[in-house]
Amino acid sequence: MSAIDNTAELTPMPPMTINWVGLWTMIRRELSRLMRVPTQAFIAPWISAAMFIFVFGYIVGGRISTIGGHRYIEFVLPGILMINVINAAFLQSSSQIYFQRFLRYIEEALVAPFSYVEMIVGLLAMTVVRAVITAVGILLIGAAFGATSVSGILEFLFWIVSVSIIFGLLGIIIGLWANNFEQLTMLNIFFITPLSFVGGVFNTVHMLPGWLRWIAWANPFFYFINGIRHSMIGFSEAPELLGAGFTVALAAILAVVVWKLFSVGYGLRE
Amino acid sequence: MTIPAVCISHLTKVYRGGTVAVDDLSMTIAPGDFFGFLGPNGAGKSTTIHCMTGIAKPTSGKIEIFGIDAVKDYREARRLIGLSPQEFNVDTFAKVTQIIDWMGGYFGMRAAERKARTEMLIDRFELGPHAKKPFRELSGGLKRRVILARALIHDPKLLILDEPTAGVDVELRRDLWRYLQELNRDGKTILLTSHYLEEIERLCRTIAIINGGKIVREGPKAEFLTTGDLEEAYLSATGAEPDHIAGAA
Repeated sequence: MSAIDNTAELTPMPPMTINWVGLWTMIRRELSRLMRVPTQAFIAPWISAAMFIFVFGYIVGGRISTIGGHRYIEFVLPGILMINVINAAFLQSSSQIYFQRFLRYIEEALVAPFSYVEMIVGLLAMTVVRAVITAVGILLIGAAFGATSVSGILEFLFWIVSVSIIFGLLGIIIGLWANNFEQLTMLNIFFITPLSFVGGVFNTVHMLPGWLRWIAWANPFFYFINGIRHSMIGFSEAPELLGAGFTVALAAILAVVVWKLFSVGYGLRE
Repeated sequence: MTIPAVCISHLTKVYRGGTVAVDDLSMTIAPGDFFGFLGPNGAGKSTTIHCMTGIAKPTSGKIEIFGIDAVKDYREARRLIGLSPQEFNVDTFAKVTQIIDWMGGYFGMRAAERKARTEMLIDRFELGPHAKKPFRELSGGLKRRVILARALIHDPKLLILDEPTAGVDVELRRDLWRYLQELNRDGKTILLTSHYLEEIERLCRTIAIINGGKIVREGPKAEFLTTGDLEEAYLSATGAEPDHIAGAA
């Protein structure tokens, strides 16, 4: 090994405020990891969404009359988009934190000057990035079928960002709790997939038998799908403000839970 | 009065399940010291280091790094520490330059500064031909060099090396010793744990021996060598029998 000048002065670090460079590094790093598995991260949900749009929206939907004045393919596209945003957000944060724990390189962040909030924001930022990329891809696929429209861009962004934050936070909780791959997938199998399918992706609440409608009203996924559908085609079956308020409240509660888990070091520190 | 590089007071760490890994441990490391931290496997060396660096949460006690509380003001304290852990805690699919660069980013270093420092460390540890290789493709010795380079990226005032030469060939070990001495001469405080007593004897000025989570002996190296060699002092402090005594029994 060659000799070096150890006395070389580094630029003094600024006083510790927000570690912006650290946060950006967390995002860069995770993007680099995703670029190692682009098929799994992006191509798979896009193909899956394209198949749903083609089979349910185009083929089956071609034989269904309009719903609220909208073609069936336009009705199902927002729900398909939302399911994929939810999955992308949950898989991103849960796998990110789980793999960091599994390979122990979470310790790189633990020994660095990050606050708990910064660590959580870093995880969520990447979650939102992945969810948005997934959503944009599905919008383009929908456009290829002539089914994409966004009537309220700010409302659309609100639903994409807020729902990806909720499932990003849930993913963090599961990623901290899971001790094996089986546990990592449990919430997705038993909770996210079933509830998203009965949350009004393919049908209106009024298509359900009267005695089953409570499933929709009590299902949080219904409000997410209803909200994104309203932002895209203007069709809604519930007061949008109720859904938005519920979504913000849920995100706030989950954020407090995750912050508490980080502050006690649950699943992170020995 | 000089502020100690490390001041640990009554540190206790009890793991879930009740295992007491560190038991009311107190020790001080002077700034600029080369401090050897010895002890048998499971004695509490790594746990103490983990409590200092934020990997473990102390159950009770106080840790100060250059006068900064490592629990209350943990962000400021962590900026002063570089850790080379015993086990490879790395994204094994990441490339060598990425591993070093990302760590610099975590410590808030800007791109130009990171680039210059990463290049210097890659050159210093002769990692140039391997810079674009994923970590998992490297030999054990090369992996150890990457971990050391990562610990040094932000030029920490306190360098903590937890068995840095485990699994490293003789040539690299000796080269590493020279480099550590160089760093220490330039004012860096170094805390070194090792099972190679020769390494501790050669490099360190102060030694502490931990056993059962407690410091059982601490002092300048010379004090350990007054009645024999370091191995005898170590075995005596940890309650193990030296070979010649065990053989006579």
